[in-house]
Amino acid sequence: MSIVDLRNLSKSYGRKTVLRDINLSVQPGEFMVVFGLPVSGKSVLVRLITGLEKPDAGQIVLRGVDMTRAAPGDRNLGYVPQSFALYPHFSVYDNIAYPLAIARAPRDETREAVQSAARLLKIEQFLDRRPDQLSGGQKQRVAIARGLVKKSEIFVLDDPLVGLDFKLRERLIEDLKATQEQLKVTFIYTTSEAVEATQLASTLAMLDHGEIVEIGPPEELYARPARAETMRNVGFPQANFISGKLAQRDGGYWLSTPLFESALQQSANARVPLDQAVALPISVGVRPEHVVLGAAPANGANGAFEFEAKVLLREDLGGEEIVYLEAGGQQLATVLRSDDEQALDIHIDQTVTAHIHPERAVVYADGKYVGRAG
Amino acid sequence: MIDITVKNLSKKFGDFTALKDLNMTFPAGTVTCLLGPSGCGKTTLMRIIAGLEVPTTGEVYFGNDQVNRLSTRQRNIGMVFQYPVVYRGINVRQNIELPLTEDKTLSKAERDKRVDEVLDILEMRHAADADISELDNGTRQKVACAREVARRPRIILFDEPITNVDINSKLQLKRALKELFTRLKQTIVYVTHDQTEAMTLADQIALMNEGVIAQMSKPRELYDKPNDAFAGFFLGNPGMNFYEGIAVNGGKVTCPLFPMPIELAAAHAGERSVTLGIRPEHVRIVGAQTALAVPAKVTSRAVVVGGQYLVTLKVGDTESAFSIAAKAKTRAGADHVTVGSDVWVEFPIERVRVFGQSETQPQV
Repeated sequence: MSIVDLRNLSKSYGRKTVLRDINLSVQPGEFMVVFGLPVSGKSVLVRLITGLEKPDAGQIVLRGVDMTRAAPGDRNLGYVPQSFALYPHFSVYDNIAYPLAIARAPRDETREAVQSAARLLKIEQFLDRRPDQLSGGQKQRVAIARGLVKKSEIFVLDDPLVGLDFKLRERLIEDLKATQEQLKVTFIYTTSEAVEATQLASTLAMLDHGEIVEIGPPEELYARPARAETMRNVGFPQANFISGKLAQRDGGYWLSTPLFESALQQSANARVPLDQAVALPISVGVRPEHVVLGAAPANGANGAFEFEAKVLLREDLGGEEIVYLEAGGQQLATVLRSDDEQALDIHIDQTVTAHIHPERAVVYADGKYVGRAG
Repeated sequence: MIDITVKNLSKKFGDFTALKDLNMTFPAGTVTCLLGPSGCGKTTLMRIIAGLEVPTTGEVYFGNDQVNRLSTRQRNIGMVFQYPVVYRGINVRQNIELPLTEDKTLSKAERDKRVDEVLDILEMRHAADADISELDNGTRQKVACAREVARRPRIILFDEPITNVDINSKLQLKRALKELFTRLKQTIVYVTHDQTEAMTLADQIALMNEGVIAQMSKPRELYDKPNDAFAGFFLGNPGMNFYEGIAVNGGKVTCPLFPMPIELAAAHAGERSVTLGIRPEHVRIVGAQTALAVPAKVTSRAVVVGGQYLVTLKVGDTESAFSIAAKAKTRAGADHVTVGSDVWVEFPIERVRVFGQSETQPQV
């Protein structure tokens, strides 16, 4: 049975609909990441779950009980807000203990809870300090610990790593994942960072313009995205998108793009049948790792799409390199490992040959999955 | 073209020491990136070079000239800031030309030549007559860079010029900077906290930490051969795996990463213990036992950059508490590396960095 159940939730401000018919079931022990670009509605969703705002329609069911109209204090949720404030005149200990002090928890219980949260977030040695004696990262750890100190099985974290240093985020991602696993609790966590989302989530919900368009394990959404927005945004670097046209031809269907053309078969998993897709805007997604440098291997009828491209820029991530290309008026990114020999002799403005295997070209009509070009 | 040298440079703000006795040279005609976490001193160093901040001790030289007493204006430097500084109401060409008109020795023909040169490099000839207010902030930043470059000051300082540009303009701005830097060979100091930006644009990176230069090297050298644990930690996503306090006996180390004792280079053979570091993408998961492989169990897997899997491993005696953890980055599509599976793992010796025993894993 799900521990958090959101049913047909909607929320508008004036004429602007921020959340539309949200349905989300969260299982006990799940690390549910609600992933979406800024202003996709993530923070409003958090405010509805925590009770800081009320939905216009729909239900919020916690632990099997309808809590849609319940006050925030009655929901028994741990909460880590996006922007945190620590009490400057309190010690780190008292800052973390604050939610328990309000709830008038016994002193022993409080001490144990504070120490355990501090241990998980690796700030045990700072409990006697005041916030101004801590680094930015340590302060964020205190804020997260304060959110986790509550005796609850459900925690809501609203983009807690946004704006933090790259390195700090790397560490906190590891520590948050370990914390959730050790506590064996349920996390509902929002972010707009793809790699943060795929590293943390056991289940990922893709929020796009106020709607949850897709839910699943992150690897599944990465490998088989049913929506163009999922393919574009779940993954770093972002997937390439090429505009295309779909037409009926010789009793079948024919896809054409500025880079390649191909026959298209009806797919069993299609969200839009081909006869309807022809009337819709067509886009073709290709992940950067599937834009391959070098000539296509010659292998007959189902061969790869080969094209010439100009190198715009090489961006060195250390372990990998992103090579930006321009081909047929389209901009494409590809990724190499820095230990690939290929990575050595590519330079800006050079013309290179690249290819894409047809089964790696994912066709969407009006953003919905139609099929693959191979 | 002129180099910049700082000698015994320190800066204190009250009790806080921002820079600790720096001695370094920024080579003429090249791009030096000052890279490091917030609070490392990179911005303070740049401001001292610019003359916007007075050092507590030490000297700054442009070539052979000591410039400590010169004002920012007298130092003849160009500056590009986080937010584009452009003049409204005039077009792109006029924006770039404006500072050149102050130099009365330049003829109109010479001014046009300089403006055209940068417009060509930036592929912006067609936009020369565009009004500044019609441009997005990425293009405005390109204009701001072009103006400083065309003026040919002795040195140009860039203070995180890409950070606040719209995500859609970042690529074109990076490309523009790369082109300007490569073609014009000016002496450039570029401050950033973004390792990718530094690795992409720099001729050399001065990695800073807590007011000192941790290492100054060419980008790939800094990444592949970090001299200290901080460089191994700060660069890379994620940074290195570290193994601290590995005992050295008879010049060799024995640890769960290797199936046999490993001989250390002479430089470390005399230490009592060392810290070992290896980058996740260099940890090799192999299908079957090899002479270099040790057993491991896959404990988690997540898709990261470019479809690679970031995998965590329990290495060594995988059923006991004595096993050690390692992160590995597989290539895209390594679907056979599943959570819970037993695998063999190689830690290639040529990829393992050995740090002295005082080097511990940096904390954030």
